[in-house]
Amino acid sequence: MSLEADRNGKTLSEQSVLGGHAPRTQRTGESLPFDDALHLQAHRWLVDEAYLLDAQDYDAWMSRIAEDVHYLMPVRVTTALGAGYSTSPGMAHLDENRYSLSRRVARFATEHAWTEDPPSRLRHYVTNVRTFRTDNPDEIIVDSAVLLFRSRGDVREAATVSAGREDLLRRTGTGWELARRTIMVDESVIRMQNLAIFL
Amino acid sequence: MTDQTSVIQDVQRGMIPAHIYNDKEIFELEKERLFGRSWLFVAHESEVPEAGDYVVRRVLEDSFIISRDEKGEIRALFNMCLHRGMQVCRAEMGNASHFRCPYHGWSYRNDGRIVGLPFHKEAYGGEEGFKKKGQSLLPAPSLGIYNGLIFVSLDPDAEPLEDFLGDFKFYMDYYTKQSADGIELRGPQRWRVKANWKIGAENFAGDMYHTPQTHTSVVEIGLFREPKAEKRKDGTTYWAGNGGGTTYKLPEGTLEERLRYVGYPDDMIARMKEQWSQEQLDVVGKDGFMVSAASVFPNMSFVHNWPRVEEDSDEVLPFISIRQWQPISEDETEIVSWFAVDKNASEEFKALSYKAYLMCFGSGGMFEQDDVENWVSLTSTAGGPMARRLLLNSRMGMLENGQNVVEPLTADQYSGPGSTRIGYSEYNQRELLRRWADHLERPMEKAAQLHVGTDPIQSPSAGGTDPSRASTGSTAIPAAQIMSKEA
Ligand code: FES
Ligand SMILES: [Fe+2]
Repeated sequence: MSLEADRNGKTLSEQSVLGGHAPRTQRTGESLPFDDALHLQAHRWLVDEAYLLDAQDYDAWMSRIAEDVHYLMPVRVTTALGAGYSTSPGMAHLDENRYSLSRRVARFATEHAWTEDPPSRLRHYVTNVRTFRTDNPDEIIVDSAVLLFRSRGDVREAATVSAGREDLLRRTGTGWELARRTIMVDESVIRMQNLAIFL
Repeated sequence: MTDQTSVIQDVQRGMIPAHIYNDKEIFELEKERLFGRSWLFVAHESEVPEAGDYVVRRVLEDSFIISRDEKGEIRALFNMCLHRGMQVCRAEMGNASHFRCPYHGWSYRNDGRIVGLPFHKEAYGGEEGFKKKGQSLLPAPSLGIYNGLIFVSLDPDAEPLEDFLGDFKFYMDYYTKQSADGIELRGPQRWRVKANWKIGAENFAGDMYHTPQTHTSVVEIGLFREPKAEKRKDGTTYWAGNGGGTTYKLPEGTLEERLRYVGYPDDMIARMKEQWSQEQLDVVGKDGFMVSAASVFPNMSFVHNWPRVEEDSDEVLPFISIRQWQPISEDETEIVSWFAVDKNASEEFKALSYKAYLMCFGSGGMFEQDDVENWVSLTSTAGGPMARRLLLNSRMGMLENGQNVVEPLTADQYSGPGSTRIGYSEYNQRELLRRWADHLERPMEKAAQLHVGTDPIQSPSAGGTDPSRASTGSTAIPAAQIMSKEA
């Protein structure tokens, strides 16, 4: 089962305004055993990524992002149990392709991105990882939970963001790359001053 | 409570005691005297397009259901059950013909009227005991709509919304009336920042001065061609009615060329020409200015910008965003930020305009990221005793003797209403804070109370506290008072 499907059975990536280019591959079958080689590779990929994001090594991070990536973080809304949706229609926090991600990364590389100068202290905790095969032998779906701890300066309290993620990883000649990520943040009101971070 | 007279007087002459950006007592006064009576933006009609659609929005601590009832009318209903005060609707959006209170099951139509009251006869003795007929969730004391933008005021005697907006309506149309059908609103994104709510409102109202410094990075990455220092200071700040904002100077050209320059396609330009007045068209076509950020007193803002959103293309795409700086406390604000787009724009334009919004503003926007960092710092610095010794100079644009550095544009130079000047200044921040000071200075009158369950038109002072009269079932006895007496 996908992270969230709406009444029409469409995935969030399919419903999103800017996800028209996104790969559509979906999971098949049960989650893989934890000693399956594919799962071990996926888990390692996510842990390595967490270290890159903690270090804000965004050039290295971008080298693991596919050309056709869709990077989506919907806005969560509180709706009645029977409503059939829990994301804001037509709106997201982030609805990115490779170009817009590259602008965000390029901005951090300037000397004038004040929000991260001085940089935050970041820790991405990644857990609850499970992996699924797809119809494509070179693509897998990986679910995970992520908790980001972000501390700035010495006066403000640290901020955290909790989210579930569904990733589509694709095998390339040199390893795996991220082809699609849907981030289901667990708050309707984000308790962080901005999203100058990646999840 | 501390006497704030000197703070208010300082602000009125353009000197800002720094602690007003982080002061609990000032915040209490704002809640009572400013947010207790000012017109406040809550939603747009396009968020509740169908009968039964609703969104739930707050005015500080007060929750309101903004619904479209079965007759198509917009309602703003205080989200508190008339029985024991439970929050009636706990979702933030949806579609419902009725709201049923989860506590004891009273239910209300989407226009607020009570329809169901379990055991009305057995528990209350029917209408004789509790007047269900004509009872309704408490409506917002005042409700006004302009271009589909829904405002409420907690003051039943608030001046009409259109009078309050005054000449700012002229500028509001650029954002919200680009064609006869107006805008559709998407979102909002909501996030909390540890910053005082006034800082953002002031910034959007008139701070062109920060753009070259704060937003250097977005120019460097090729996202934006405008905010270079020399560009920004060629624009204007204007104040009209109860709002004001900033504009960019456009290159030479006709109206059409200038609208194309900011990225509007010809079909949209044609509709703007049909929709806008000659003066509204002249500000762009003749005077050469295009609206950018703006604020309506006290806490609503607009943005209009035109970044490049695609690789290998010099084309820019305009976007519009509307926001509310929702105060949480003296040092915390919930930013509520919507994307707005003309209803009649093509789907392709809407998608790219949305992309432009996401890249620039909102919770992940690259402009916004650096703004908020500054405002959070400012707020925490303003919290201590040293900030009380500092009177910040907010007199940019004025000499010490009060003379203008730059005179307002004349009617020959500028076709729009209000007072408009080229270049950097803090006239608009002063306009905003002067209104703030005027509100804080003026005591509140006591608000009328509704006594639930009694004849709605009965005077609440009908001497109903005497329990001996309760048994008579007289309509003159306010039930709420009887209950408190018995408790
Ligand atoms: S509090 Fe709503 S029914 Fe009792
Ligand atoms: Fe800014």
